[in-house]
Amino acid sequence: MRMRSLISAAVTTALLLGSSATAHALEVLKLRVNGDVNTMDPIATTNFTIRNVAYLVYDTLFALDSNYQVQPQMAEGYTLSDDQLTYTITLRDGLKFHDGAPVTAADAVASLQRWGKVDGLGKILFSKTESLAAKDEKTLVLKMTEPWGQVLPALGKISSNVPVIMPARLAAQDPGDPVKEIIGSGPYRMVVDEWVPGSVAVYEKFEDYVPRAEPANMAAGGKVAYFDRVEAHYIPDPAQAADALVNGEIDWVEDVGADMMPVIEESTTAKVLISPQAGNSLQLVVNHLNPPFDNPKIREALQWSLEQAPFMQAIYGDRTDLYQLCAAVFFCGSPFESEVNTDRIVRRDLDKAKALLAEAGYDGTPVLLLHVTENPFHDRAYSVLKPMLEEAGFVVDEQMTDWATVSTRRTSKEPGDKGGWNVFFTGWGFVDQSNPMTNVYVAGQGLNGWYGWADSAELRDLRVKFAATSDLAEQKRLAEDMQRVAYDLVPFVPLGQASIAQGVATNLEGFIDSPVPFFWNVRRKH
Amino acid sequence: MLTYLAGRIASAVPIVLLVAIFIFSLVNLTPGDPAVLLAGDNATPAQVEVIRERLHLDQPLPTRFVVWAGNALRLDLGESIYSNQPVTKLIAQRLEPTFVLAIATLILTVVIAVPLGVIAAWKVNTWIDRGIMAFAVLSFSVPVFVIGYLLAYVFAVQLKWLPVQGYVPLADGILATLRSVALPAMALALVFAALIARVTRASMLEVLSENHIRTARAKGLSTRRILVIHALKNAGVPVITVIGIGFATLIGGVVVTESVFNIPGIGRLTVDAITRRDYPVVQGVILFFSVLLILINIAVDMSYALFDPRVKG
Repeated sequence: MRMRSLISAAVTTALLLGSSATAHALEVLKLRVNGDVNTMDPIATTNFTIRNVAYLVYDTLFALDSNYQVQPQMAEGYTLSDDQLTYTITLRDGLKFHDGAPVTAADAVASLQRWGKVDGLGKILFSKTESLAAKDEKTLVLKMTEPWGQVLPALGKISSNVPVIMPARLAAQDPGDPVKEIIGSGPYRMVVDEWVPGSVAVYEKFEDYVPRAEPANMAAGGKVAYFDRVEAHYIPDPAQAADALVNGEIDWVEDVGADMMPVIEESTTAKVLISPQAGNSLQLVVNHLNPPFDNPKIREALQWSLEQAPFMQAIYGDRTDLYQLCAAVFFCGSPFESEVNTDRIVRRDLDKAKALLAEAGYDGTPVLLLHVTENPFHDRAYSVLKPMLEEAGFVVDEQMTDWATVSTRRTSKEPGDKGGWNVFFTGWGFVDQSNPMTNVYVAGQGLNGWYGWADSAELRDLRVKFAATSDLAEQKRLAEDMQRVAYDLVPFVPLGQASIAQGVATNLEGFIDSPVPFFWNVRRKH
Repeated sequence: MLTYLAGRIASAVPIVLLVAIFIFSLVNLTPGDPAVLLAGDNATPAQVEVIRERLHLDQPLPTRFVVWAGNALRLDLGESIYSNQPVTKLIAQRLEPTFVLAIATLILTVVIAVPLGVIAAWKVNTWIDRGIMAFAVLSFSVPVFVIGYLLAYVFAVQLKWLPVQGYVPLADGILATLRSVALPAMALALVFAALIARVTRASMLEVLSENHIRTARAKGLSTRRILVIHALKNAGVPVITVIGIGFATLIGGVVVTESVFNIPGIGRLTVDAITRRDYPVVQGVILFFSVLLILINIAVDMSYALFDPRVKG
């Protein structure tokens, strides 16, 4: 008996000591990011998780503020010549890379050139660039071949690929190949030795970082690091992430999910922050190469077969605060939101769908549904899609599969029985989708474009016109035209717009409302 | 003894080679293209093509196998497609959590299972025996992830005694480490203990009915001495075999348990690598596990000699 009580005392002491040993003297911010930090090069991938953590390490010349205006960040300022062709950008004082070297204009030039080889907007910028060169240590000069209103929006781009600045020797690397050394000039430096891909990435405060004097304003303004250490943890199971947040094991969860929101809302240690700007969407991408959707009438029948509410309800349940029904190509709440040509998106009309199918002579060619089971959102969406299509008269061939398979098959331009596809679900974020220059569905680039390969000379032409003007009223008119053409073309069917519910420890303050989560300005209340 | 050992090791070589060929083919024939996954959801087809060429995925399968096997002999398992880190480094980073978990589980298992088995055999056909066996059948029948989630719910979410997830490295203090593996080790040990308790009981029952035990009883030895010194030592060989074979089950269990408790061990590495079609990592990890299992089997064979003098090879 005495032995037993001794053991239980020892176990209790061990557990208590163990719990005190996990408390660090350093201020540590523990994040649960959506994906795994598998690389630290935001140019080699468009992955949003990498984009988000890259903002800790890297800085940008320009940045967007909360009014979506471009402000200088690493740049002290810039001047534009009277002919609207030459941009002279000066770097601000005190910029340093994490290896101690000063940031020079040559580093910025090399970094922008690497970015310009992969980024959509960057490519257009460089196609209109006569020269980009360092005039001296702190001045870079960009000469355009024609006036172009998108130069600053491109350089201040907030989402993938972000034009981050790294040392010129690293920027010499091919952009498809991730850089081997992680050196930026941002407020945190990466601790490469502690990086365990698939588990955790660790960052330490960079003591030599000099924040701008202005207060933090989305990506612009002073980036003040209040933590000694930031850890980005990969916890795949959302339920576990929510429990860990409530238990105080982590401080922030990027996307809580509707199912786990009550767990956090009922706790005293954590709360939910709903962020419409960090929103996402559900979109059904349509392949224009394969029957039956190579026929425009059958694509229109698809639009009349579907409506948004059942999809959103299946995914978000009764959490109506998490989603909105939105038919706009450029998202609701953006400057280019429009209702033009949305009747077929908003309304479901089975008679019309059936009539269109009959008119098109639909021969019962099955719609191949590659039902992704391991992503709970997509799983539910496919379960709603199948009966809706069948009600309208489509024949559906449903096959259960995983995301890895679908993400491979969607690259195939072959017919369905030879490894191709008809439709798949995806979701672009608010920033990319709200901008007509980065929204893939209005590109109309056919076989050279994004998956689905919708082809439209009219869309391509509208985009060129859009890029050439900086007059907002004119841009709005062009964006409306794009929406009208796009919904006639049907590169995709929008099925709802959603907000992201972040989980945040209640003892944290200073979170910035932004489409990209930032971790400067965040501090712990004491 | 040494010849026996050398023979066992030599016979393992073709097994490892067969495993290597099998794994390589299986992994590479699975649908799904790592280049596409790597490029991200919003990549353009051109970006995907660049990555595919960079990874040499455009080359024929046999060429890739020969290159891989040749490098593996030099302990170079290649680079992860997904994180660009050497596979050997990724495995090395993950060894500590997995081994700490496996050893903690093994100790917990033996501490729970062997006494239970001995008691069940000693009190055979009483309610104690039946109770222990009912417990054994129950814990062996419930999947490890169910036990894992139940333990996490009770001890971490409700009582808040232990963390829900994660692993604290030994460098941050052994007590914190033990705290972080307590729940996963318990979940695994319950399943594993059920198996070992049953084998211990069966083996003990057989030994207890033998003449030398009756003699020991007749000599008036204490029950404890008879059970531990005379019976358990003789019942040891099957128990050790089962612990050895069970190690394979344990590794399978570790894969699941590490996912349930988010422990960055080799199991999690395997699962993640498979879902990402990270061929070099999947191949490397399975090769590592195969070699480990073969070594454990050899070690188990060797340990028979300690318990049974007739096994000398």
